[in-house]
Order: sequence, then C-alpha cells, then structure tokens
Amino acid sequence: MHFTPSTARVRKASVGLALAASLAMLAGCASSAVPSGPVQIEFFNFTAGADHEAQLQGIVDAFEEENPDITINVQNAPYEDYFTSLKTRIAGATAPDTFELNYENFVSFASSGALLDLETAAPDAIDSSVYFPKAYDAFNYDGVQLGLPESFSVVVLIYNKDLFDAAGVEYPTADWTWEDEQAAAEKLTDAGAGVFGEYQPVQFFEFYKSLAQSGGEFFNDDLTEATFNSPAGYAAGHHLVDKVGNTMPTEAQMGGVGDDVMFQQGQIAMWHNGIWQFNNLVDIASAWDIAVEPGNTQHASHFFANAGVASATTKHPVEAAKWLQFLASSDITVDTRLNGNWELPAVADENLLEPYLSITPPDNRQAVFESLDAVVVPPVIERQQELQDIVTLYLQKAVLGELSVEDALDQAAAEVNALL
Amino acid sequence: MGTESRAGVWVRTIIIALGGVVFLFPFVWMISTSLTTTGELFKLPPQLIPNPVDTSAYERLFTQVPILRWVLNSVGIALSVTLLQVLSSAMAAYAFTRLNFRGRNAIFVLFLATLMVPFQVMIVPLFIELRYMGLLDSYAGLIIPEMAMPFGVFLLRQAFMGLPRELEEAAFVDGAGHVRVFFTLVLPLSKPAVATVAVFSFMGSWNNFLWPLIVINSPELMTLPLGLSSLSSRFVTDWNLLLGGATISVLPIVAVFLFAQRYVLQGVAMSGLKG
Amino acid sequence: MVGDRGWRKVGLVALFLFPALIPLVVFRLFPMVASLGVSLTEWNLLRPPVFVGIENYANVLTDPKFHKALTNTLYYMVGYLPLVLIGALTIAVLLNSRLKGSTFFRGIYFLPVVTSWVVVALLWKWLLSPEGGIVNFLLGLVGIDGPGWWTDPNWAMPSIIIASVWKDLGFNMLILLAGLQGIPQHLYEAATIDGASKWQKLRYVTLPLLTPSILFAMILAMIGAFQVFDQVWVMTEGGPAGATTVVMEQVVKNAFRYGLMGEASAMSWVLFAIILLFTVFQLRFQRRWVHYGD
Repeated sequence: MHFTPSTARVRKASVGLALAASLAMLAGCASSAVPSGPVQIEFFNFTAGADHEAQLQGIVDAFEEENPDITINVQNAPYEDYFTSLKTRIAGATAPDTFELNYENFVSFASSGALLDLETAAPDAIDSSVYFPKAYDAFNYDGVQLGLPESFSVVVLIYNKDLFDAAGVEYPTADWTWEDEQAAAEKLTDAGAGVFGEYQPVQFFEFYKSLAQSGGEFFNDDLTEATFNSPAGYAAGHHLVDKVGNTMPTEAQMGGVGDDVMFQQGQIAMWHNGIWQFNNLVDIASAWDIAVEPGNTQHASHFFANAGVASATTKHPVEAAKWLQFLASSDITVDTRLNGNWELPAVADENLLEPYLSITPPDNRQAVFESLDAVVVPPVIERQQELQDIVTLYLQKAVLGELSVEDALDQAAAEVNALL
Repeated sequence: MGTESRAGVWVRTIIIALGGVVFLFPFVWMISTSLTTTGELFKLPPQLIPNPVDTSAYERLFTQVPILRWVLNSVGIALSVTLLQVLSSAMAAYAFTRLNFRGRNAIFVLFLATLMVPFQVMIVPLFIELRYMGLLDSYAGLIIPEMAMPFGVFLLRQAFMGLPRELEEAAFVDGAGHVRVFFTLVLPLSKPAVATVAVFSFMGSWNNFLWPLIVINSPELMTLPLGLSSLSSRFVTDWNLLLGGATISVLPIVAVFLFAQRYVLQGVAMSGLKG
Repeated sequence: MVGDRGWRKVGLVALFLFPALIPLVVFRLFPMVASLGVSLTEWNLLRPPVFVGIENYANVLTDPKFHKALTNTLYYMVGYLPLVLIGALTIAVLLNSRLKGSTFFRGIYFLPVVTSWVVVALLWKWLLSPEGGIVNFLLGLVGIDGPGWWTDPNWAMPSIIIASVWKDLGFNMLILLAGLQGIPQHLYEAATIDGASKWQKLRYVTLPLLTPSILFAMILAMIGAFQVFDQVWVMTEGGPAGATTVVMEQVVKNAFRYGLMGEASAMSWVLFAIILLFTVFQLRFQRRWVHYGD
C-alpha cells in the first residue's frame, strides 16, 4: 500500500520539525551563571596517570590549604590520547586553564599564541630564580615566558650487574666511550641464550644525542637547513644502526616483548633509558645500577622536560600562575617527586636535590647529576612531530637494510629541509 | 535438512572444532595471562595454566580503581543507545521500504554516505557543536549524538525488503494502520535482524573510545574503555591489569550476545509461518 | 488506502523517519559538511583556521606518502575481503542450526569481535612472533621456515590481514546468520521432496537467497576496509618503516599530531570519493547476482 503526500507539505513539515528540534536543543543550553565561591582552576595532565595520581593529589591538597580561595580540578589523559583531547578542546574554545606540555610540543603551542605570558600576567606569582636556568629558558619563546619547568628526566645507561659479573666484565664508568661500550657488549652478548649486550632505541631522540656526542649539529644556526647528514651524523647513525642484530636484538629477536620487559627479565645487559624506569626496576631479580651514557668525542645527554602552562584564554590568569609556580617548585613538590621516583623537579638549589642521592636502588644516582653537566636540548621546530617521524622512519629503513645509513640520513635531511 | 553422510558429519565437526580452537585459544591465553605473576608473563614456550595463579590484578582492579563505576556507566549508556538505535533504525527502515515519498532513495543514500566519512575528522566540528548545545561532559552528550545508526538502517532495510507482504496487506485490509502493522507484524517477523542490530549497537557503544574521550571530563562519567586506557601510563604497561580489564570488558557483551541468540533462533520457527 | 492524502501522511513519514534522520543531520551530516569546509583551510587547531582553497587537495593527490598509503589500503582490502567473507559464509552455513553446540560455537567465533584491538594486537604479535611464536613453531614442524611476520616489511601487511580476518569473521558470520534465518523452511522441505542433496540445497536454495545478505556484508566490509585504522595503529603504527602505512593512519597523524587538520580532512574526503565510487559500482553490479524476494 502506498501513498504519496505532496512534496511541499513534506518539506514544510520537515522544516517545522527541524526548527522545533533546534529550538528545544538551544533552550537546553542554559547560560552558565558565574559560580560564587572559590576560583576553580582546571589542570589537565598526562604525567599523573594511575601510578602518580595520589602523589599529584598530595601536591594539590597542599596548594589548596595555602590558598583556600582556589580549588584545583585535576583531569588526566594517557599520553597517546592527550593531544587529541587537548587540541580539540582548544579548537573548541574550552581550553583547560592550566595543562602540561612536553618540550617537543611546546614550540608549536607557543608559536600559535595559545599560551599565557606568565611573567606579564602575574609578575608577583612567578619567581624565576628557583629554577634550574637551562630548564627555565627552555620554555621561553621569543623572549616571553610561556611555561614553568615542572619536571625533567635524563637518559642514562642502566646496566645489569649480575650479567656483568657472570661475564667477568668491568662495570661501566663515567669515562666510557662508544668503543668501551661496544667491547663490553660483545662480551656480554649470547644470542643463543637470548641475552644481549645492549639496547638503544633507533629513533630521533637517540640520534640527536648521538650526533651531539660526536660533535655534530642538527641544524645550522638560523634553522634554515638540516646539517645532521654530516660525517658526525653518519657516525651517529652507524653507532645506532650497526648494533641491531649483533649486540642488540632485532624486532624479530625480541618477539613482541618490550625492551623494558626484556631488561626486567635479565635479557639485556646495558639499557639506554630514562630515570622514569627506576620505579619499575625496584623489585626485579637482578642487581642493577646506572652510569653516565658513554660519549664519542664528547659527552652529551638529552633531557626531557615537561612544563606547566596556562591557556591564553583562561579567565583566572593570576590563580593559574600561582598554581603553576607551586606545582613546579614548592617544597612539597620537590619532596614528592624525589621520594616517589616521579621524575625530578627543575630547581636550581642542589641542596634540595640531595635526598635524591640517598635513595637506592640505583646506588650511583650521582650519575644523574653528572649527566646534567653535558645536557643537550632537542632541536625543535614548529613542525616538530613531522621532523621526529621523518628521522625515525629513515633510521628504521637503515636498520632494515633498505637504505645505507648515509643515504637514509641524506634523504631524511632533504625531507626535513622541506619542513623549514 | 536431509541426511548427511558420516563423512560429511565428520568433516563438519572437524572444521568447526578446529576453527573453535583457533578462535578460543587466544581467550584462554588472555585470561590465563591476566592471572599470571608479572615475572612470568612472556615466557616462551607459553604456559597456558598459570602457576601460581595470581589474582592480584583483579584485586587491584576492583579495589584501587573505580571499575564498577566505569562498568555501570558503560552499561547504562550502552543500553540507552541500543534502545534508541534499534527503534530509530527500524522505524527508518520501515519508512524506506513501506512508505513512498519524494527523495526516499536520496535520503537513504545520505545515510549510507555518512558511513564513508571517518569519525576522526568529524570530532572537532562535533565537539564545537556540543559545546554550543551545552551537552559536553554529560550523559546526554554521550547518548543523543549516537541516536542514528546508518548500519542498522541499512541492515533492517535489507531485512524488511525480504519479508513477504501478504500478511501486511491482509492487516491493512482489516483496517490496521502503519504503526500497528509495524509493531505487530514487521518487527516480530524480523527478530533475527533486529536482534543482530541490537547486538552490534550494544557492542559499538560499549567499545566506543574516541567519542567519550573527547566529550567526557569528569571522572564520574568515565566509561570502561576510557577507564582502562588510563591504567597504562606513558612508559609502563601493566599487562596483568590490562588483560584483566579486557577480560572484564568482554563479559557483558558476551552476555548480551548469548541473550540475543534466543531471538535469532526464534526466527527459524517464525519463518515457517510463510506460505 | 482511504484518507491517505495530506498531513496525515506527512506526519506518518515524519514519525517513522525523523528519529533517525534528525540526529543524523544534526550530529553527522552537519559535522561532515563542516569538515569539508575545514579541508579548504590550514588549521593546526591552536589558532584560527586560514582559508587556502583547494591547496590541500592538490597536496594530497601529489603526495607520495598518500599514494603509498592508498596502495597499502587497497592491498589490505584485496587480501582481507575474500578471506573474511568466505570464512564467515562457511562458518555461518555450518553453524546454522538449533543444536546446543552451535550456539556455543557461535559465541566462540563472536568473542574476537568484542575484544579490543589493544588486546588482539598484543595477542597476534605474540602468536606471529618470528622466533618462538606458535605459528612459526607449527610451520617448522612441517619443514617451513616461517617469515618475520609483522617485523618484516613484506609480511607485515599479511600479518595485519590475518589478525583482522580472525577478529571480524564473527561479525560477518552474524550478519549472514540473520540472513540464513530468513530463508523459509518450506523451500528446503520442497527441495528434500525433490530429492536434492545437501550440496544442491546449498547451491540452489541457500546461496541465491542469501545474496542480499552477502551483498550487504560485502559493502560494509569494503567500506570498513578502506577506513582500516585501529589494527594498523596498534600493531605496527604504519611500520616497519612505513610498510603498513594506510590512509586513515596518515589522516590521524596529520590531524592531531602534525597540526595539519585541513590536509587531514582533504585526505579523508578524497578517500570518501573513492569509497563512494566503489560502493556505487557494487550497487550497480548487484543486479547480476543478487536475488530479492521469492
């Protein structure tokens, strides 16, 4: 049975209904009344996930005690999803009052005008003298302070003492060079037993650091040309790529197991990774310690730093700044981070960091501070993520044997130049 | 169905059993790994029966983490979405197959076309839309935008098209209206398809991650996938916890599936009515 | 029908159609159109969008990365579609009965569908582990030297295809089962009376009447295959070294990682056009092989 109502009537009805529906929905959108009472500051983060949530809460509670007129509303998302969520909110004009950024993403946010100029907005709240100068300057963009260094971590050489003892090899020292590491790794590798001498990820971060350890420069001075395909760059590339399949397991040899699990299970002797791993290594079966990473012609360590930033559109700039200053440098923050193995506060006063040295494992925590002496900051441009992905991709091609190290770096440089 | 030769029965049984093993084995592994202590996790050759059985992951899941809240949220939202999607899809499918109106095919193509645009590029405009409507960070914001289910409309349209019209025509002659025919004839006769749509609808909502991620801010509204992803931090993956959570999240859908199977099977009896 | 004209009919169409149509327009079509607009801009989400016209489309169409991604996506589809459909068809036919065991087995085949890709990826990376994984172990037993699977650029996509077929089989099985249940019993009874064998029933009763469901499953599987994302993201992230990069992976990277939302939108609209083309072709071609009604 069919019927065919006239088109005009259907249209009228549709419009009518659509209008009614829209009106109903708009009516549901109440204008938000300004709440009286304490100022609410949102803090969106990716570092205080399940493992450090309680620690962050401790810092929040202390801040709220000192500032009864401000409450902090903590939101968290895992790193992989953090930027999707954050950028969507910023695009939708509901940016969080304060949030975290890691150093590599800082430049693109800073150059887009999304961040609050902290020193101008709240000069009384910000005390720059408490911070480790290099860390503070890292979050200054074009002369404007757009973030406060909340924490930093370094990468060190983590090694399995039991494996060294069994092979009769001397432990790594702060003077080791690439050759020393290579020699030790060869003695420690027993591929048949599934034990490998070393593991160093073949990606952008390890590359720029190895480049620095060989005295090379990533870009030229005015960031108009990539200079990493230099002899120093080739050396760095070979240093990373040639190990794989010899003293370092290939993906196939790892069999889907992460390098962290492999080290925990005693299958890797020397592991280039960050101090954030300490918490997970506390209970493992083997004895372990750390050393400064070996250099080539010089030492270089990279550091990862996170900043607390405020949105340029926040309605409470002064309160936001106060919170960030507290979060980054208060005594309780320093305490919490040191005792909780939760990265390091970027404070200048070395005495404050003393307690860190006495917590074990590892015994040689001094290596962390020694690494800071030769810290290099990653090269950052506006199109940072593309840069990182390109370099990592070409290095991976070299690992797979699809390109020679030299060709890989040359092609990568050509693509990177297109980004500048 | 006619007699099968003995060989035929054997072949059938072997294919099913083999397939069953291939499909079941990974789950056994998943559950077993969630009950294994961390140190033993990735040993090769794999041990299917954990020794010792370590239920600490589940203990942690239920005590340290608001997993019940997440499950309740997910269940409530999924049930609401399923109800709305099944109804709206069936009604639209009825309109497309039993009512005649200008632009009918064009509008159907519109439904189909929305399946061809990936959700990821719609997130930001959708977010801005919801912000204007005041639906952010709310249950309504999770449910209402999901009301339309083009896949369901498509499937039910196919199903309705395959139904013989004699019964309906008889009902019309007896004076029944479209609404009556829809609820008392078309829907019951399409139980398998409707049950199938219900299962897919529930599953889609249950496993939905991206949309809740964008819409939700408050921890009280967190759904299960969102909650479980918050358990892995940037550098560490707690495999026990992850797989324990995954095991828990599989259970409700399996329950829904088994429940729906009754309706899918009932259809066999119903189709005997024809002719 | 009497008294059929006018507002009553309009009301009826509206009643049945609008519960699905209105949300579709408001929450799907509108953002879609908006994303079309975004595709004409350059937008990193942090500052307001800037109009650039069709520049993004030109970039996408001439980008070798996009070509590679599209080729890989087609490779995936060609491998995945036949396997998942034939597999689902076989299992659906075999399990189309009221035996207790059937329901149990249907549940087993459906389990992968409801498991998240995070778990499935982990599982298959482990199963397909080149050294010590079960698959290579079994292959070794029959004297075959198993490949590097997902660690090998030549075998990574096949690995993803295998895992995807495993995961999606139950989904398609369910669709085909619904279709099978809709085939009237009396046709089988008539065939038995005519002395038809099992195979003949399958060929002359089941398959022809199942063609609408097969078409449906095929179109959906194809649309899904073009938009393949989750498994690639979780299993290989486009690697090793770009061997499994697919269109949606490029779209997501461009949208949220690289701050190129305009280009990401343009890319997905190019994909849309391709999908639309293939779907229209499928729908046109259906008259050759799909039987509706009695």
